[in-house]
Amino acid sequence: MRIGRRTMLAGLPLLAAYPATLKAAGLKGGTLRVAILGDINNFDPQKFTQANFALIKNLYDSLIEYSPDGTPIPSLAAGWTIAPDNMSVSVVLREGVVFASGNALDAAAVAATLKKAADPAKGQQVYATMSIVRDWTVDGPRGIRLNFKNRVPDRQITDLLQFISVIDPAGIDTVETKPAGSGPFVLAERALGQRVRMTANPRYWRDRQPVVTEVVLTVFGDNDSASAALESGAVDIVYGGGARAAIRLRNAGFQLIQGPGPLVQVFRINATRGPFRNAKFRQAFNFMMDRAAILRVGYAGVGEVTALPWAPSSPAADRSYDKTYAFNLDRAKALLAESGLSPAEMSAWKLLVNGGDQDSLAISQLVQGTLAKVGINIQLDLKQDSELVDAMLGGKFDALFGGVGNVQKFPTRIGTNSIYRTSGNAILGEPNPFPSYVAAMERVNTTFGSGDDIRAAYDNLNKVLADTSFGIATNTYDIGLLVASPKVGGITPDIDNMLVARTIGFTG
Amino acid sequence: MQVSALRLLGRPGAILAAAFLVLLALVALAAGLLAPSGPLEQDLSATLEPLSAAHPFGTDEFGRDILVRVIYGARSSLLTAAGAVLIAAAVGVPIGLVAGFFGGWRDAMLMRAVDVLLSLPAILLAMALIAVLGRSQAAALLAVGITGIPSFARVTRAQTLSLRTRDFVMAVEAFGGSATHAMVRAILPNAWSPILVQIVVLSSIAILLEAALAFLGVGIPPPAPSWGEMLRTGKTYLYEAPTYAVLPGAVLTLTILALDTLGRALATALDDRSAPLPEIERRAA
Repeated sequence: MRIGRRTMLAGLPLLAAYPATLKAAGLKGGTLRVAILGDINNFDPQKFTQANFALIKNLYDSLIEYSPDGTPIPSLAAGWTIAPDNMSVSVVLREGVVFASGNALDAAAVAATLKKAADPAKGQQVYATMSIVRDWTVDGPRGIRLNFKNRVPDRQITDLLQFISVIDPAGIDTVETKPAGSGPFVLAERALGQRVRMTANPRYWRDRQPVVTEVVLTVFGDNDSASAALESGAVDIVYGGGARAAIRLRNAGFQLIQGPGPLVQVFRINATRGPFRNAKFRQAFNFMMDRAAILRVGYAGVGEVTALPWAPSSPAADRSYDKTYAFNLDRAKALLAESGLSPAEMSAWKLLVNGGDQDSLAISQLVQGTLAKVGINIQLDLKQDSELVDAMLGGKFDALFGGVGNVQKFPTRIGTNSIYRTSGNAILGEPNPFPSYVAAMERVNTTFGSGDDIRAAYDNLNKVLADTSFGIATNTYDIGLLVASPKVGGITPDIDNMLVARTIGFTG
Repeated sequence: MQVSALRLLGRPGAILAAAFLVLLALVALAAGLLAPSGPLEQDLSATLEPLSAAHPFGTDEFGRDILVRVIYGARSSLLTAAGAVLIAAAVGVPIGLVAGFFGGWRDAMLMRAVDVLLSLPAILLAMALIAVLGRSQAAALLAVGITGIPSFARVTRAQTLSLRTRDFVMAVEAFGGSATHAMVRAILPNAWSPILVQIVVLSSIAILLEAALAFLGVGIPPPAPSWGEMLRTGKTYLYEAPTYAVLPGAVLTLTILALDTLGRALATALDDRSAPLPEIERRAA
């Protein structure tokens, strides 16, 4: 295997940094008690939903991981080499790794995991990411090569490797109900709707990890009771709670940890309906979003304002847009006048709102109030549960706020979110009504070479996003917000804000 | 009736309750004149402000004046109560009259239907109706009204049964009066006392139920002001702005207390006709 610029091997300083940190911290073991705000509903690591974020990194390991700044770090893959033509990546697996069942990790297990991921019926949230993979070739017990349909940029390749948590082939058919991973913990007990208990995997491959012997995830019905449990000492961590409670707890002396993988709140516009067919009308919304107020009212100020759908750690992030598209009702009025729409036409739409989500309800009311100031008087259309999902995914709405994910990874990964799909977009229809957007995404996907070329592709995408204005980003907000007791240490931020319990221990 | 009214006037609690309700109704009717700003008017530079001369109840997370929203919320609560009582009485009273007057299979059929309605918890029934109809003031009003039908039906039936065999009803029938005539002209005018009490009692239940629905997130949709919605949202800000939830809650509690007090006083005044007259009543008599 050629070791070059794009080859990573185990033993590099970044990998070594974590155990060293733990040793230095002198953390103690014990039982880590974590409050979560929803029951775990699935043990499949490819079921990549927020409900399972407390489990995935504890029962499974992925091929690689990212540091908080997005640098790839070896994990189950001891190393990987991207072919010079970017048409394949060769992965070398770590030796001495076993699954909880006792079976050894090998290339056949990775192949079985890839087969599941590439199956539209079983691949869950990983399926879309696998669309770049043509096939794969097992090369001995520790080697596997993934072949791509087209040339794929480096970052997109490492995103794929980071997304693949390897499943034990012996348990792959029952993985939804029974975990089958090689992670630092094994499932000891699941009491439906109450708790999940995991004990340390005695054969775990990482040195001195996990630090604690047991993790108990207790399900709480609401933020307030979880916060009360933390304050009373009944739990050590609240994971996935709301921003407002987190701020209060931080002010009371608890640790608040924001991960590098937030979502971006986006005002999604159905550009095929009513006044939103008018480009100037859509563009006016860039200036009608009081982003600072939205962040403050909806998320207690936890997050950052952003006029583009990227997390700060995204390679496409460009903060200059925040200034260019700052809240400015005069500029909005000018664009509204240019649109040629009458006040009645401009008000002939409804803002769909998730009635069950207090944050969405708050920011929607705020925007409703702002729009009224420029003469756009709209109604809120409150929906919940399946009715809301049906409207959201089926494009049966005029506009709504919704979080988009994968905003900290390769920029075209944003296309995994419904409104940003370049094809098969149920909201904007087929073909995508914004060919400039489709072309900009394609340009990002196919730009290789110097950093300048890549930056130019990102800049072009950002410009197109602002021009087309079918999604108006307002702010980042945290999922997987973690509030911990002061006696807890060794918290490792995860690029997806998942709970990584293996490095956590007690300081006193 | 004059005697009953005098008995009522002899109870200070009832007078106080009635005065509060009248005041509330006047404030709700004149909300547009009394309130210094609109209930939806946002001021994002003054969010979650404490109590002050400019904002006696403070401001909410959008900088909206909470007192103004409480005043407009009263309009919404009283409208829901009035509408719900109207629906419940319009359906429940005829059911009770027919069931009590005719008896037999009609009584059995109607009262079993009422029993079915009664067996369903009001809040669940209301939530189910709203799930079908969608969130709106009309849906909340209808849902609360339907849950009130059984109480009117049962009270009216009980009264009808006791009046059915009285001489004046028999006389109407003996002179060839129709059943409808006997029910509407002979029984109903003599059965109004418990129905009146029921109107007051159901008003308090309707206001509470409407607030509970809003608190659960299925009532009148925001941003329309509603006491229950203010309680629901205010709960989120209990640490930063405790008065946000407490003051609308206090107004809601006072309204329910006033209606209950008035209802009890009415029941006593109308039912206890053999009791000694209060001083004011004796003087009038």
